[in-house]
Amino acid sequence: MFCRNQTARATIARGSALEMEIRRGKFRQSVFMESPQDSDIQKKIDYEIRMREGACKLLAACSQRDQALEASKSLLTCNARIMAYMSELQRMKEAQVMQRVARRSSDAGPMDDRSPCKAKVAISDLRIPLMWKDTEYFKNKGELHRCAVFCLLQLGGEIFDTDMVMVDRTLTDICFDNKIVFNEASPGFELRVELYSCCSEEDYSAGNTPRKLASKLSTSLGRSSGKKMRGTLEPGACSPTSNGGGAAILLPVPSVPGPKYHLLAHTTLNLSHVQDSFRTHDLTISGNEECSFWLPLYGGVCCRLAAQPRCMTQQMMSGCLRVKLGGEPQGWTNVYGVLKGTNLFCYHQKEDMEANVEPVLTIGINKETRIRAAEKDPHSKAQNICISNQYGGEEVTHTLAADSREDTQLWMEAFWQQFYDMSQWRQCCDDLMKIELPSPRKPAIVTPKQGALYHEMVIDTSDDIGTVTDILARRIEEFELRAQLGSPPHWMSLFDEDPPRSPHNHQHLPPHSPSPCHRTPGLLSSNASLTSDSDSPVSVSPCFRQAWSPDTSSSSGRFRPRTLSLDAKLSTLRGRGYGGFRCNCQPPTAGSGSPRPTQTALFCSSSTSSSSSSEGSNSQESDLGFSRPSGARRSLRNLRAKLDPRNWLQSQV
Amino acid sequence: MSFIPGHPVTAVVQRIEIHKLRDGDNLILGFSIGGGIDQDPGQNPFSEDKTDKGIYVTRVSKGGPAEVAGLRMGDKIMQVNGWDMTMVTHDQARKKLTKKNEDVVRLLVTRKSLETVVRQSMMQH
Repeated sequence: MFCRNQTARATIARGSALEMEIRRGKFRQSVFMESPQDSDIQKKIDYEIRMREGACKLLAACSQRDQALEASKSLLTCNARIMAYMSELQRMKEAQVMQRVARRSSDAGPMDDRSPCKAKVAISDLRIPLMWKDTEYFKNKGELHRCAVFCLLQLGGEIFDTDMVMVDRTLTDICFDNKIVFNEASPGFELRVELYSCCSEEDYSAGNTPRKLASKLSTSLGRSSGKKMRGTLEPGACSPTSNGGGAAILLPVPSVPGPKYHLLAHTTLNLSHVQDSFRTHDLTISGNEECSFWLPLYGGVCCRLAAQPRCMTQQMMSGCLRVKLGGEPQGWTNVYGVLKGTNLFCYHQKEDMEANVEPVLTIGINKETRIRAAEKDPHSKAQNICISNQYGGEEVTHTLAADSREDTQLWMEAFWQQFYDMSQWRQCCDDLMKIELPSPRKPAIVTPKQGALYHEMVIDTSDDIGTVTDILARRIEEFELRAQLGSPPHWMSLFDEDPPRSPHNHQHLPPHSPSPCHRTPGLLSSNASLTSDSDSPVSVSPCFRQAWSPDTSSSSGRFRPRTLSLDAKLSTLRGRGYGGFRCNCQPPTAGSGSPRPTQTALFCSSSTSSSSSSEGSNSQESDLGFSRPSGARRSLRNLRAKLDPRNWLQSQV
Repeated sequence: MSFIPGHPVTAVVQRIEIHKLRDGDNLILGFSIGGGIDQDPGQNPFSEDKTDKGIYVTRVSKGGPAEVAGLRMGDKIMQVNGWDMTMVTHDQARKKLTKKNEDVVRLLVTRKSLETVVRQSMMQH
């Protein structure tokens, strides 16, 4: 019975001196000269130092806010990497010292021990939900509180950072598209995920402010804004690294002006969190509402953490075997066996495997498999290997034999190692988890991920919801501008003449009415724009709300971004466009005596019955044939219209 | 009409009686109003005094009951069926005008031209 030698195996901490002792072979030269690993790490440290200098220079030189944020991010990453390398270097030096000590005392005997295989660990599709409160909407009405965030991921000695994302009120989740793959992870790995954020408001880019002026400003500003100013002016990115022993390079940490990132939240993932699908993990949040870099996080992070142990992806053992196939009790078939993943594939010949021909026999090797060495076969020189599997209640045993005793030993060793790896990597060895290789960076056309509706919009720049809002707003403005090319608002003309003579004016107005009608969607959109749903698609009533801004040219600066679901915005946009087109098709029946329009068709949203707006009014009027909308809808519209003080409402009675 | 906040308003008014037109289930008057104490008075194109938060007639449908009754665009509504309209919110004004059980609304409106006419006629004497 295959028995793992429990007593002989001890758990050894990775990176400890004892582990180094076991790998004596590699480190023997290190006693006399610097080991290759040392010089590797030294090279990496030097490289990172150079990168850091470059980032500092860039930070000092750049004027654009975005560039400064990017440079600050690379600076933080470089610092983190340097620290990681330095601590690893220190550990290695320590190990060498310990090793020399241990050899002298010679108390450590040879260890017959296994180390589990390494794995590729990939983390992707990071998503951090946000939880904006109502108070966020109504607080700083004017400007939008924006933060730049990115994630720093650390596993072992490898540190990667994600791209930077700008976050503001219009975002419901922070999404990072990066796929990050760590190549050398052991079963006890700890993947540390850190979320850094930096407030991104124009006032606080203290890059070029002279110190005296800056301190004066910070003291003369209000308490909270002064605090923020002083925070950004604080020098020093991270604590200077100081190593106790070994090759300590005390690096002077340069104090750079510019945006500074702060740790907002962190969490640590390990083997138990690995799964082939998305999972949510808790975040530990540091900081509070008073900090400038604060964001209202929901408290979790959703991501896909997958691991591919080497034992699942690589051939662990291969060689010639003889298999007793069913039918002939004494017949042995020569096969070429390959142990990979959870299977032992037996091919006719080695070339078959390379040619991807189907194997003759596939024997499952998993946690349930039992392998034992049988008694010595009198005919052969070596022991047989019996592999037993349970296939639905039945036990199926395959008998294999290697050519020589040494081969048998090698195969058994390979099987033991495989079992060990599987026990260490647990759920990762049930099935192979797919890991996509991160594609080389290129400016990709990204569509927002939030659902099928949004795929209809072609967004050619970044994938931020904020950008989408901007694009929508721009489209609306373009529409307005096009609409305004017509005559000036008609009511201007009425101011020149007395009201009683208005019937006279009506004759002039019919030619104008197409253009006001054409303008109406634009005007309606002016300041109510993205916020009010006064043109919600279905409701029409004699008394619906209209927004009127006589000064439409300045409306572009007026709209206030709000967190509205994108499909509400899209439907208003569509409706508006639809309404606008509709009204072009209707000939104004200005001369009709009936106040009611001749059309009773249902218009989508901004219904424009031009006939009844015989005065060519520049506000819209719904079809009078409709019943009032439900009270709930109207009250919601009322509420929204009322809440926006920039509207000057008009109601039709 | 002079509008000084805090002081009673004096104005020359015209009484206008509008008979609502029944259109199916709805009673329509045929005009639109703007203004109110909850609205931004600076955007009112009809008011002389841009701090006036009263209710103004912004549009009159041609041939509608309001036009027939003599309401004109730019009129300021002072009262509706006895209810004051100088210190009401937009929605309150709308509600007073659109009561379902009333077929007739009697408005007191004022406009600049009224005052001119009266002043002119007074000067002639």
